[in-house]
Amino acid sequence: MAKIKTQNLCSMIKEELLKQVEDLKVELSHLCIIKATGDMASKLSKIQTVRKSIAHVLTFISQTPKENLRKFYKGKKYKPLDVWPKKAMCHVPQAEQAGRKPED
Amino acid sequence: MAPKVRKEAPAPPKAKAKTKAKALKAKKAVLKGVHSHKKKIHTSPTFQPPKTLRLRRQPKYSRKSVPRRNKLDHYAIIKFPLTTESAMKKIEDNNTLVFIVDVKANKHQIKQAVKKLYDTDVTKVNTLIRSDGETKAYVQLSPDYDALDAATKLGSSKLSPAGYKSKYKFFSQSIN
Repeated sequence: MAKIKTQNLCSMIKEELLKQVEDLKVELSHLCIIKATGDMASKLSKIQTVRKSIAHVLTFISQTPKENLRKFYKGKKYKPLDVWPKKAMCHVPQAEQAGRKPED
Repeated sequence: MAPKVRKEAPAPPKAKAKTKAKALKAKKAVLKGVHSHKKKIHTSPTFQPPKTLRLRRQPKYSRKSVPRRNKLDHYAIIKFPLTTESAMKKIEDNNTLVFIVDVKANKHQIKQAVKKLYDTDVTKVNTLIRSDGETKAYVQLSPDYDALDAATKLGSSKLSPAGYKSKYKFFSQSIN
């Protein structure tokens, strides 16, 4: 299985992405069966890559709607809690704050 | 002119008195409040607070922007099939497949997952929780589906009883 690259993912539409996740999950289930039956050790290392690619694709899938939501709620007073600006980010000392760019 | 005046003369005082009385009554009602019924009698020794209006929530914004995706999908429910000796026996004799399954899944979910993933019809599911925290599911397939076929189709040849025996044959040979 080719390594999942974000460039490849960018070109896919939502249905294709979801299908990709499905295929990866099927592959993962096959690998788990192989692991359970104690078969070829060569395929066991693939499990980690497949799991990570599933996570990769799912992250990608959820990114665009999130971005759009942030744009949608940009000027508004009442926003859902996960669209609020994150305050618990890196602590910036007072001296440096002047030179910093304002975060969106 | 004259008759009209005469008619109006006796009427106003009466009407006036009537309207005055009405006005006074209204004033009293406004000041003191109107109690249409008498003092409430409690027939039971317990005091139940009066039922008030309860409004539904009308949130100004949804707390979560996007609903969470279902993390317990079919692939997450069924982890892998078991390939122990007793599991093999079940496949041959009872037409059941034995899976290790997610603990959070219930029997209905397991049934649907097996039906969908392995294209079979399921009669019943029995589950137990193993001592290492995993759930084992004995999934009995309907008579028109063969567990043996399903097992071999699952992928590894080791999964079928024949394959399993061959695996052990190898070991027994090496011991000898």
